Amino acid sequence: MTPLEILTAAVTGQPAPRLPIFCNLLDQGARELGLSQKDYYARGEHVAEGQLRMRARYGYDQVWSLFYVGKEAELLGCNDILFADNGTPNVADFVIKDWDDIARLEVSDDITAHPAWDEIATCLNILRDEVGATHPLCAYVTAANTLPVLLMGMEKWLELLLGGPADLRDELLRKCSDLTRQQLAAYRAAGANVLVYSTPFGSTPFVGHKRFQTFSMPWMRRDLDGVDRAGLVYYCGMTDFNDVIAQVMGELGIMVHYLGPSADIAQAKSIIGDQGLTCGVIDDIKLIHWTPEETRAEVRRICAAGKAGGHFLFGTGVMPMDIPEANIQAMLDAAFEYGRYP
Amino acid sequence: MLDSIIKAYNEAVFETDKDAAFAVVNDALAQGVSAEDMVFKVVIPAVEVMMSRITQDPDANLAQHFMTAQIAAEVTEKMLPMFRSPPEIIGRAVIGTASGDLHSLGKRIVMGCLKSMMVDVIDLGVNVPAERFVDEAVRLDARVIAISAMMVHTATGEQGCRKVRQLLRERGLEDRIRLVVGGAPYRFDPELYKSVGADAWASDGISAGKVIVDLMKQVRPS
Repeated sequence: MTPLEILTAAVTGQPAPRLPIFCNLLDQGARELGLSQKDYYARGEHVAEGQLRMRARYGYDQVWSLFYVGKEAELLGCNDILFADNGTPNVADFVIKDWDDIARLEVSDDITAHPAWDEIATCLNILRDEVGATHPLCAYVTAANTLPVLLMGMEKWLELLLGGPADLRDELLRKCSDLTRQQLAAYRAAGANVLVYSTPFGSTPFVGHKRFQTFSMPWMRRDLDGVDRAGLVYYCGMTDFNDVIAQVMGELGIMVHYLGPSADIAQAKSIIGDQGLTCGVIDDIKLIHWTPEETRAEVRRICAAGKAGGHFLFGTGVMPMDIPEANIQAMLDAAFEYGRYP
Repeated sequence: MLDSIIKAYNEAVFETDKDAAFAVVNDALAQGVSAEDMVFKVVIPAVEVMMSRITQDPDANLAQHFMTAQIAAEVTEKMLPMFRSPPEIIGRAVIGTASGDLHSLGKRIVMGCLKSMMVDVIDLGVNVPAERFVDEAVRLDARVIAISAMMVHTATGEQGCRKVRQLLRERGLEDRIRLVVGGAPYRFDPELYKSVGADAWASDGISAGKVIVDLMKQVRPS
C-alpha cells in the first residue's frame, strides 16, 4: 500500500500493514540544502526539494506545503519575517499595530493572485507532481479565531478578544475567516489532501469552556460552512483538547484529531473510536535530550496506547532543529516497528 | 464586608471581566476600604487564588491568566497613589524575551503579577541580547533576571539564557543575581531550564510571580 492508502485505511478502518507515520521536519530542509532559512524559504522549489529529501531520507509518510506559520500574515500584508538559522521564523512586523488598522485590512477576493501565494503554489505543484498520488500532501490553515495572533500579536489579540469593542473584534474575525475559507479552498484545489486546521483558540486551555461555546464554535462554524471535511484535521498547537473532541465531531464534523503530546491518548481514542482518526503525538521537545532508548520507549508507549483497533496515527509536533539525528532515526525506527500490524 | 468584596472581585477576575473587577474596587473604596487593604487583602490574594486554581481547576485557561495579571496590575497602579505611605518594595527584577524571540505575552502576564506583588519590574522588551540583560540588571541593581522564550531555539540557543549564565559567571555576579526562565518549551520539558543554566522556571505567568519573589529572598543585597 502507498502511504496515502495507509492513511486512508487508518481513517476508514480498513486493514493496513502499519500505522500512518507523520514526522514534521520543516526548518531542517534548509540545512539539508545547505541554505540559510531566509534563502530556503524564499523559493517554493527549495521548500519542495527540502520536503522530498527529508521524507526520502527517513521514510515517513507525508510532505508539507507549509513554509512557516507567518506566511499567512504575508497574505494580508506582512513583509517582515525574522529568520533564524537554528529555528522557526517569527512574524517581525505586525500588520495591525493599532485597532484602527483593522478597518484598513483587506482580504483579496482571490488569494491565489497575491504575490505571497506564488511560491506556495510552486511548492505545491512540485509536491503534487512528485508524490501527490501516493503520499499525504499536507497544508496548514489557521482558524479565524487564531489568525489575529499573526496579525497583531497575542497580547493585542487577547486585549481585543477579552475587553475590546465587539464590533471591531467581529470585523477582524470576519476578515480572518474569509482568508481561512479561501485558503482551505485554494490548498485543496492545488492538490493538498490533508488540511491541518490550526485552532489553538478552539481549545479550552486557551479560552475555557464558556468562551469555547460563545466564541470559538461560532467562528469555526463560519470558517467551515460548506467546506468538505475530507482530509480536515483538528489541531490546537501542542495544547490538549480532549474535552471538546466530541462536540467538534458532532457539530463541526471534523473526524481527525491531532492531539497535544500531554493528551490522554486512550481517552481521546475512546471518544473518537472508529468514527475517525486519533493522532497520537510525541513530545518532541524532550527528543532534544532523550537517549535513543528513551525515545524508543516513548514511541512504544504511544503506539501501545492507540494502535489496537486501528484508526490511529503516530505523529510529531514541529520538530525542533536541536533534535539529534540519532533520535529522529530512533523515533522513526520504533514507529515503524511498534506501529506494524500483524 | 471585606469577605463579600473578595468574593465579588475573585468572581470578576475568574470571569475575565475587567469592568466588573473595577466596579468592585470602586464600590469598596466608596465604602471606606483603604487602598492598602484593596491591594494586600483583595488583589494579591486573588492572584494567589488563581495560582492555586491553575493547578487544580481543569478549566483554568490562558485568558484567565492574562486578565488576572492585567486586572491586578491596573488595580495596583490605581491604588498606589492612594497609599498613606509608599509601600515596601520586595526587590527589583528585569524581564525580557530571549534574543531572537518576539513573543511578549508571557512577559506581560509575569509583569502584571509582579507589580501587584510589590516587585519593581523593569521591562527590557523583546529580542533582548544577553549582554543587555546583564548590563541592565547590574545598572538597576536587580536581583532577578527573567527571560521568556516561546520557541525552542530561543530557549536553548547560545545567545539566550546560556549566554546570560555565562556572563553572570564571568562577571562574578552569580551570588547577586538569580536567573529564571519561562515559556512553552520549558513546559514541555520541565528539565530544560537546568540545561540552559537557569536557577528556576515557572510553568505559567501567574506562578512566575511567586517563583521570582522566592528567588529574590535567596539573594543577598549588594
